[in-house]
Amino acid sequence: MKLVSGLVGLLLGAALGLGAAAAAAGMVGSGARLGSAIDVNGWTSDWTIGSEAANPWTRARVARHGLLALTKEEAVYFARNTDDAGDRLSEGCDYRVRGGAMPAQWWSVTLYNSESYLPDNTDNALSYDLTDAATGSDPSNWFFDISPVSSASGNGWVSSRGAGDFDLTLRLYKPKADLIADPERTLQTPSIEKLGCGEAP
Amino acid sequence: MRLPMVGLTTFVIGFAAVHFIALNALPGYIMSTARDRLAAGGIETHTWNMSPRVTPQTQTIVRPSPDLAYSLCLIDVSAGPVELVVPTWPEYGSLSIFDAYTDNVYAGSLDARLPDAPGTRRIIVALAGQAVEAEEGVDVVTVKKPEALALIRRLAPSQGLYDAAAALVPVSTCGPV
Repeated sequence: MKLVSGLVGLLLGAALGLGAAAAAAGMVGSGARLGSAIDVNGWTSDWTIGSEAANPWTRARVARHGLLALTKEEAVYFARNTDDAGDRLSEGCDYRVRGGAMPAQWWSVTLYNSESYLPDNTDNALSYDLTDAATGSDPSNWFFDISPVSSASGNGWVSSRGAGDFDLTLRLYKPKADLIADPERTLQTPSIEKLGCGEAP
Repeated sequence: MRLPMVGLTTFVIGFAAVHFIALNALPGYIMSTARDRLAAGGIETHTWNMSPRVTPQTQTIVRPSPDLAYSLCLIDVSAGPVELVVPTWPEYGSLSIFDAYTDNVYAGSLDARLPDAPGTRRIIVALAGQAVEAEEGVDVVTVKKPEALALIRRLAPSQGLYDAAAALVPVSTCGPV
């Protein structure tokens, strides 16, 4: 009886251990978070991304959802999958993302679906970056809209067409030392305001 | 030991063992799969390959940045060290090395605007323990397994800048020392 009880426990434990590893790595469920050791107003990151110092859970999740990510000396990555009200970002709603100067040499905000891929559309509106901010207005006071269809306002636009539930990744290349030392105080995080929701496609 | 305790003990052992074995094996497995997929797509070892402009239709790796032009080289140092020579770029750019476990073991700037920009960045990738003779100004990167991947990122949000980045591939090298 002890042998049977031990075997059953072992098999159950192994199965659950495998499932927990898959979930922790983001093989199942949402993959928005590459790491969550740092949380600045809902934008999450982890300074060990890409490095040997990453714990097994961060390392596995980055391998699945952020393969070839750079270490913090070269770039840092923040992800967020909810709006300012805490609701899940979704193709069915329109949003306005607003931000200011970023503590890095160059930055971009890119939209990814829940599988960590660019949404399958041909709108050629996949991201908004410092180049857009500098071209469109004041790079220290910029905004763009997220919607499945282009707005007629002429503002910056990132298309969510075909994205379903999605997340945004903020990349900061060559981040300033102040950001690495004190992200909560240094990073003025972009806000994500929900403008309205229509019929889910 | 009572029956429930036997079951509980083996459950905890089974959970912890499989959980950590799977977690630690996953990065290497994913990197190996990505490498196999690239090779199956015709990418040869020790050759710089310009990736197509990033679009939803051309993406092959998770979370690509559509603002960047990517070039990659599959490295195998089992027969000896490999040297990379890469020109700098007038905007943001980097040359990075990823080992077989997905770790970013090297990142060097390619931004020609920086005061200490070298003009051309040269690095040698070697297996730990391999003898390397490097000239001054050449960075040496050691890896624990022979397989590695080199990646160039260049800021190129327009077709014109992408074409300019692509024009640098023929003058870049990636091959045995």
